[in-house]
Amino acid sequence: MSTLAAEELNPLVPHLAEIIVGLVAFGLLVWILAKTVFPQFEKMYAERTDQIEGGLKRAESAQAEAAALKKRYEDQLAGARDEAARIRDDARSEGQQIKAELRTEAEDEAARIRARAEEQVVALRESAERSLRGEIGGLSAELAERILGSELADPSRRSATVDSFLSELDAMALRQTTGAS
Amino acid sequence: MISGNLNTIGYGLSAIGPGIGVGIVFAAFINGVARQPEARGQLQGIAFIGFALSEALAILGLVLAFALGA
Amino acid sequence: MTTTATAPAPGFESPGVEDFQLPPVFGTVTKPVLELVLAAIIIVAFFLVAVRKPALVPGKTQFLGEAFHGIVRNSIARDMIGGREFLKYVPFLTALFAFILVNNLFGIIPIIQFPTFAHPGVPYALAGLVYVVFTYAGIRKHGFGGYIRLSTWPPDVPWWVRIILTPIEFLSNLILRPVTLSLRLFGNMFAGHLLLLLFTLGGEYMLFEAGDWQLKVLSPFAFLMAIVFTFFEAFVQVIQAYIFVMLTASYIGTVLADDH
Repeated sequence: MSTLAAEELNPLVPHLAEIIVGLVAFGLLVWILAKTVFPQFEKMYAERTDQIEGGLKRAESAQAEAAALKKRYEDQLAGARDEAARIRDDARSEGQQIKAELRTEAEDEAARIRARAEEQVVALRESAERSLRGEIGGLSAELAERILGSELADPSRRSATVDSFLSELDAMALRQTTGAS
Repeated sequence: MISGNLNTIGYGLSAIGPGIGVGIVFAAFINGVARQPEARGQLQGIAFIGFALSEALAILGLVLAFALGA
Repeated sequence: MTTTATAPAPGFESPGVEDFQLPPVFGTVTKPVLELVLAAIIIVAFFLVAVRKPALVPGKTQFLGEAFHGIVRNSIARDMIGGREFLKYVPFLTALFAFILVNNLFGIIPIIQFPTFAHPGVPYALAGLVYVVFTYAGIRKHGFGGYIRLSTWPPDVPWWVRIILTPIEFLSNLILRPVTLSLRLFGNMFAGHLLLLLFTLGGEYMLFEAGDWQLKVLSPFAFLMAIVFTFFEAFVQVIQAYIFVMLTASYIGTVLADDH
């Protein structure tokens, strides 16, 4: 009797009802949760991971796109700058070329004008000299004829007289120019 | 006048060793984690296995204290 | 006066094993049986509420449920079992954790105030279940011979060590594992409940039955200790549930490992 009571009180002896109910309750618990709840959780984790990764990927692609755009703009900007510099250089060289052309042209023109003027002067002088020479001869002969009359019949004397007269004139003219200057 | 069961004293004695053992196990675990915090996950598993092994002795003492009851 | 103060308290019977023999509530149904059913209902209800309106940004209940599931999934199952196989065991481990935790916490919930596993039946049953699960997993992975070899035949050991080591490994891996697993849970719950009983019943005796005014004055300290140990018990109950699941996972992980 006493051993029986001791065995009843031994806390290590399980109660059969508890074992059965515990196993059934726990089995049902696992079954229900594994069927309904945990797949849902796993799906949620997967979706969330997906979303986050997708978001990251989207952000990455947006960044890449922005970088490409920036590069393109920078390229364009650099191109524009280069072009501007080239245009400026071109304009400058063109301007210089035009200037040089103009200068040579002007110089040529000036030289031509000067040459023509000199030629004209020479020609005028020659023609004046010629005409004067002729006229002076005639005039002086006439004058001398009128004054002297006879003496001029002899041509050799006449020319000698004219020559001396002319040299006198020349000398006079030389004096005049030296005096004037 | 003292009444009671010698088994209780026996269980108390049997708990000394495992108590020290469990302390050593977790001291080593804490040391390990302090030195290498990134190894925590691995160490935790090993620590709990060591803990379980040492504590098994105390549990056997408890069981025997009841099972060999007067 | 001095004689009554120094004499062992007359009429006080310290709580003992007999306090765990609860009278049936009705018929043959006892309190732990009701608690088991209640625990299962509470857990299922909680998780069903948690997934009722699944959303990517979780609400409060869903967040709690997911956090609970996540702890078991990531910091127990994945760390202990590893590989790709751990996902298969997560539902079992999570349910186990929740079931043990709720049943343990019954020990400090007012009115209920009896940890189900202070009776050893269900711990035996759960440990047996765990034993079946990890033995099945080991045999399916390594075959029967391979499983026995893995459990008892550590590699790279000289023969004279093996004479001692193999019996120890056999005992600890194949026999003591489920035994200690169940008895650890039972022992902790049993001792914890006994401790609370001692302080509560002792305080009650000091306050109401002792004929001594000093004991009446000192009785609040007994109740204070009971409260302190209630918090301590809450901690122990959570830890024990965690350890049970942790060890289960590590046993499964060990038998699934490729080498010892």
